[in-house]
Amino acid sequence: MPALEVKNVTKFYGGFAALNGVNLQVEPGEIRALIGPNGAGKSTLIDVISGRARKWTGQVHLFDRNISRLRASQRRLIGLSRSFQRTSIFPNLTVRAQLRLAAQRVGGGDADSLLEEFGLATLADSTGGAIAYGDQRRLDLALALIGRPSVLLLDEPAAGLTFEESKLLAQRLRSLAQRWNVTVLLVEHDMEVVFSIADKITVLQLGAVLAEGSADEIRRDRSVVEAYLGSAA
Amino acid sequence: MSVMRLFGWAGLAAIGPLVAWLTPSLLTQSLVAQATFLAIFALGVGLLLRQNGTVSFGHAAFFGLPGYMLGALLPLKLMPVELLICAAVLLTAGAAFVIGLVIVRVHGIAFGMLTLAVGQAVYEAATRMRGITGGNDGLSLRLPPHLFGLSLKTFQQPGGMLIVSWLVMVAVLALVSVLGASRLGVLTEAIRDNEERVRFLGYRTLLPRAAMFAISAAVTAVGGVLFSLYNAFISPDTVHWTASGSALIMAILGGSGAFWGPVAGAFVYFFVKDLLSGYTTHWLSIIGMALIVTTVAFPAGLAGLLPWMRKLIESRRGEDPVASS
Amino acid sequence: MAIQLLNGLVYGALLFTVASGLALMFGLRRIVNFAHGSLYMLGAYIGYSASAVLGFWGGLIAAAICLALVGLLLDTVVFRPLQRRDPLTTLLVTFGLALIAEDLVLTIWGKDTLSFAAPSALAADWSLFGTSFPAYRVAMIGFGAIAALGLLLWLRLSRVGLFVRAASQDPVIAAVQGINTDRVSALVVAISASLAGVSGVVAAPLLSLAPNMAGDILVDSFIVVVVGGLGSIGGAFVTAIVLGQINVLGVVFMPELTSLLPFLLMIAVLVWKPAGLAGERV
Repeated sequence: MPALEVKNVTKFYGGFAALNGVNLQVEPGEIRALIGPNGAGKSTLIDVISGRARKWTGQVHLFDRNISRLRASQRRLIGLSRSFQRTSIFPNLTVRAQLRLAAQRVGGGDADSLLEEFGLATLADSTGGAIAYGDQRRLDLALALIGRPSVLLLDEPAAGLTFEESKLLAQRLRSLAQRWNVTVLLVEHDMEVVFSIADKITVLQLGAVLAEGSADEIRRDRSVVEAYLGSAA
Repeated sequence: MSVMRLFGWAGLAAIGPLVAWLTPSLLTQSLVAQATFLAIFALGVGLLLRQNGTVSFGHAAFFGLPGYMLGALLPLKLMPVELLICAAVLLTAGAAFVIGLVIVRVHGIAFGMLTLAVGQAVYEAATRMRGITGGNDGLSLRLPPHLFGLSLKTFQQPGGMLIVSWLVMVAVLALVSVLGASRLGVLTEAIRDNEERVRFLGYRTLLPRAAMFAISAAVTAVGGVLFSLYNAFISPDTVHWTASGSALIMAILGGSGAFWGPVAGAFVYFFVKDLLSGYTTHWLSIIGMALIVTTVAFPAGLAGLLPWMRKLIESRRGEDPVASS
Repeated sequence: MAIQLLNGLVYGALLFTVASGLALMFGLRRIVNFAHGSLYMLGAYIGYSASAVLGFWGGLIAAAICLALVGLLLDTVVFRPLQRRDPLTTLLVTFGLALIAEDLVLTIWGKDTLSFAAPSALAADWSLFGTSFPAYRVAMIGFGAIAALGLLLWLRLSRVGLFVRAASQDPVIAAVQGINTDRVSALVVAISASLAGVSGVVAAPLLSLAPNMAGDILVDSFIVVVVGGLGSIGGAFVTAIVLGQINVLGVVFMPELTSLLPFLLMIAVLVWKPAGLAGERV
């Protein structure tokens, strides 16, 4: 059974269909990249799956369980977690306090071991707002990873990171996914990251799935290249 | 808790009785006692501001409600007065919780308007329901001769009430401080900073915020109880929005960032007012200007003064800028 | 019964003229002006003093002009510099200003209630629906109607009105279109303040002058603006009329409950639809 299944999801913003009958299946342990030109509906799909979006039709299943009606907090408690495109952390709490807050809810060890695990030990007592952007991104990711979620949704985790940071991120994600057997659905524009860690790629355009396949298949797909028309594919 | 801190708290608690003992002036004792009622009132408002990040223009309702409950229920002799007092505070907190469940869903300015509405609704009820509340004439509290093992006189004489209310204030301060560091305290601060992310961490956000609203109401209610016991009287003025506004000003002047800020704000407000009223009738303008200046230039209030000064001194004392980088 | 309705309209008309300014200011700059009741009060007191020399109508005009200037000052010195900050800051600053205004009134005019005579042309009673009804109150309703019509026409037909509606919907886009939102804002605040001040003069013969008049009208105005849809003039109009009726009819039928009704209504609306009944349209 797939770890994550999206069935015929449609979402309208007024008269505009941001998502139009999207179907998607991600197998357990798979790292799936979701790519597509701007406005394709990638972030919207993540919002629907994670429980952030309202007023959509269709179904979302987590390991055969229909979670379409569950609140975001409930989805997190059953193992579906997400990170955010625009860094979403707590500017006035210390790094340690934030991790502890997250750990208290979903389990996952004490704050100090978590600090080690995510390379944030030196920043433990700094407030979220006072640390560097790259560290904030890592904190955002750490908050999503606490409690070893079974399915992880990442919304442009490499956004704003330097080349080196992106590479490191990709390595970390790959290693983490393998160690914990996490299923990952990853929205990304950074093709280096995508091609280096994705097992399979889904291409979205204008709210619908355009193509799906391995990195090579996608690279050779004419319709994908046309859709991007001049992007770095 | 370290021994140093315990001594600190004990010392703080001792100030009240010390003042009562050393000051022969009944007037000063009375003033300090009244200031502590307001300090506890402001503590509640400040607690809400710090933990939930919301402003309340209606907290006077929670300050006056216990007094009204006591006034209405004492003659019925339903239970020992001590229990009645506890019940009054708990009922006020309970009402606040129910109200909170409804209104904390609303954010920003709209929440402030809602608290104004709640406060004024209570005020209107207090003035209109003459049968229960005595209307504009107010309600006398028929208190028994003994309370909590002490004679009633203790609560109604300046010296006695000063000691009682000061000790209560210190106790409340300690509780508020513990609350801030507790799980609920951290959770509500996180919700204040980024409610959405807290939900994505698996938490429900409505209940903690409503609970904090209720706790802030309970804190204010405690101050209200002391106030009512001292005066043995309650009237609609006590629950008018201008009373809420004053408490809010005290909390802001003192700075809600530190848990003790509102207390400092209340004392400064109260005593400067008393001092200046001898020299000028323009107290309203002064407090208005103080509020404006604080809000615009010193948002951290008095509580922010110490860290600010420390930073100033450290930068002046100045390490060699080249060597320190 | 008809007389009760008319009485309700009197207060409703007054409430609308005061609250509409509040609604405009919120719609345009997202400002909750805690000093709005003070503008109403200052207008009344200035009108009172000016009328001693210039007569009722002169006092009215004096109040209109003075408050327009006060509004201009308010926008330039307070609202514009603080617009980038948290809206709560402006709210608290206007709260501080309200306190200062009250002190000003107490200092200049004292704390006693002052009475203000209606103009002699309207001092008589008219015979309406079988009973006598003060002509001045009819005039008050008329004033409210004219103000409502005037505002509506101005917003719908004039260029500036269009700018106000545009800027209320989306200040950023409006600015990009080349609308000088600062100037529009100054104009709107001046008009709002002036309207509030004139309302104060109009209300004075009926409600008398006292330093606490600012607070009373303020709370009701907030209810009108909030329930009517923060920023919506049409919504404010309907709410003001309804509130006026509730106030008057309630006193007759269920005095204890009806005083609570406006607040319960406000709470219900804000919780159901945090943007108010009419949404954010003007």
